[in-house]
Amino acid sequence: MIRRHPVEILLWIALATLPLWLGPLGGYTALGTKILIYGIAALALNLVLGFTGGLSFGHAAYFGLGAYGAGMTLKYLVPSTPLAIVVGTLAGGLAATLLGPLVMRRRGIYFAMITIAIGQLFYFIAVRWNNVTGGEDGLAGFRRQPLHFGSFVFDVQNEIKYYYLVLFCFVIAVVIMRVLLASPLGHTWVAIRENRRRALFLGLRTDLYVWAAFAISGTITALAGTLNAMLFNFTSPQDLHWILSGNFVIMIVMGGMRKFWGPLVGVTIFVVAQDYLSSLTDNWMSLIGLLFVLIVLLFPKGILGLIAPRRREVSTPRAPGIQQADAVLEEDGSPLRDSTKSLREATK
Amino acid sequence: MEGFTRRKALKAGLALGAAPFAATPFLSYGQGESPIKVGMHDPLTGTYAAEGESEVRGAKLALAEINAKGGILGRKVELLIEDDNANAGLAAQKAHKLIEKDGCSMIMGAVSSATALSVNQVAAQKGVPYMVTGGHTDPVTGKECHWTTFRICTTTYMLANGLAGTLYQKFGGKWYFITPDYAYGHTLQAAYAKILQGLGGQVLGNSLSPLGTTDFSSYLIKAQSTNPQVLILLVDGQDLVNCMKQAVQFGLQKKMPIGGGLSELEVLNALPTEARIGWWTLEWYWNQPNTPHVKEWVDSYRKTYTDGSYPSARTWFGYAGLHALALGAAHAKSIEPTKLARGLEGLELPPEIKLQPNKVYFRKEDHQLMSSEFPGEINTNGKYPDLFKVASIVPGDKAALPASETGCKLDYPA
Repeated sequence: MIRRHPVEILLWIALATLPLWLGPLGGYTALGTKILIYGIAALALNLVLGFTGGLSFGHAAYFGLGAYGAGMTLKYLVPSTPLAIVVGTLAGGLAATLLGPLVMRRRGIYFAMITIAIGQLFYFIAVRWNNVTGGEDGLAGFRRQPLHFGSFVFDVQNEIKYYYLVLFCFVIAVVIMRVLLASPLGHTWVAIRENRRRALFLGLRTDLYVWAAFAISGTITALAGTLNAMLFNFTSPQDLHWILSGNFVIMIVMGGMRKFWGPLVGVTIFVVAQDYLSSLTDNWMSLIGLLFVLIVLLFPKGILGLIAPRRREVSTPRAPGIQQADAVLEEDGSPLRDSTKSLREATK
Repeated sequence: MEGFTRRKALKAGLALGAAPFAATPFLSYGQGESPIKVGMHDPLTGTYAAEGESEVRGAKLALAEINAKGGILGRKVELLIEDDNANAGLAAQKAHKLIEKDGCSMIMGAVSSATALSVNQVAAQKGVPYMVTGGHTDPVTGKECHWTTFRICTTTYMLANGLAGTLYQKFGGKWYFITPDYAYGHTLQAAYAKILQGLGGQVLGNSLSPLGTTDFSSYLIKAQSTNPQVLILLVDGQDLVNCMKQAVQFGLQKKMPIGGGLSELEVLNALPTEARIGWWTLEWYWNQPNTPHVKEWVDSYRKTYTDGSYPSARTWFGYAGLHALALGAAHAKSIEPTKLARGLEGLELPPEIKLQPNKVYFRKEDHQLMSSEFPGEINTNGKYPDLFKVASIVPGDKAALPASETGCKLDYPA
């Protein structure tokens, strides 16, 4: 039994009743839906960014692939909402899985650059493949379809009902991510983030774990993309562009990438600020930039990093062998495989 | 006399540090009826900000005129303006905001085609009339047309056709093309080739230049060697600037007319002087000495906006767009969406609004406004705003594809 923080229960109640209170607060249903959709994407990206420590700057690719997958399914194949979600999610997930091996060994800036390059690849495919994707004009001419459960019809063309469909997907995504993070797999991701070398020395195939994180994260991001395409019944290459990838990273950093819910906080701040400020002034982008700078300067761990008290860390004394290995590593800085050898010698 | 738009009210509110309270409109209306709200989305930031600003200015001019004459059906009109950043997703989100939260009964706007298409989807889903001001791509009033959507600016096809006819008559039918090597460029070139062959002309050759080409000399030499009567450049953006500069260095503009597609007063003004050459088409021009009402309108624009600027085609789109909605409502005696849409069908714009000599009306079959093309030549040594010489004013229904070939089937609710 996992104990839940009381604030988290409040969050779920707030999300479940959102259509009731968002209007009077000056919002509108589509805004709430967009926050949830971007929330799924940002939480998923954070599996790689915050929990595994890989700076992916190309997640819009999987978001956009999901969007195009869903849109093209509705437009060219079958007018079925669930099928569009499944096809789009699988398309994005498959791409992330196949491309994972290209990124899994890279670290730091190289990881960021290769993910951005892959992302732009899909952007240019969408721009140039006019006949199928609609090119720069975007993909239109499809519409989300009512859900049929036997004789019961849930007409998601209604904004509020669509919000609940998105909330349903959000819950599924959150449950999957929580289960994964609580599992040995999730702990291994954190170990890789904290010290990839040491994880390697423990005999873990770190690149395979990074691959898994990338593939799972890409798949869930693609799920968000499918929902986004059906939110406005439209998608365009801008949903694949690195600017969107960068915005996801900004949202996560604002909210706090070390906390599970940090990305959702960041998404909420970003989307609401964008919506509200851009109605007030043409200089809204400067204001969002300023907000980002202030948050990074004042709360380096993001908003949630400040509010939630840090759990006390249990410090375990290091085994003497590992200490020696650390010393060896710091001294020679030799390539990894040699280091593994020295580790073995040191721990003999 | 710009009237109080929500944006203005909010700006003032923000300055006072009382932004949250300023959202309530503080205009009072004599009629006791609530105002009719028209939502407008346009790029006020980003690459197309100048074009977006022009459209907003035009709409504000129309707003002042409409309200001075008692509004729409006796109700005041309020214009709510939202920035879409030329981003299709943001534009759709803003359309939701304008319709759901602000209660707009009609929307208008768009510079980028992608935003026109995304808002087109939202408007159709919500059943709210949508007046596309910019956004030229054919599908808006073609394959993706909806009963809710009307368009002021001309289609890509009309732009090509309007210019092609003029160039063909003036210079002859042996043409050479330099086309950007991606799908949209290919489509555009194919359309030009078809129009040219329909006129009886001949394509001498077509060079495909990759996006981001900086050295066009090989293409220009090849073009020159075929000795064409017209050289058509379909590249755009920075590529176009590079290509035109090099054509001038080669002295090509003295040997043959160089042409392209759409240009705009905002674009001409931003071009470096050495790239201001060739034959293009505008969709409206401020200097029409023989057309009634144009001079008065330009003067009234310059009285309202005292920054020395002149109205462009974009200004006219915004102006005609809001006026058209008001006229349609007056014609239908209702703002109920289907009645308003029916009221706009076939509607002809009166001279003081159309501001051009030919007949201008919304085609019933695809809701496309049949407004004129203004093909002509760039005034190479001209100073703003005197940057263009209009060669002819081609009526919209001569330039447009026949309604039966656009692929549009209007989907009125049963």
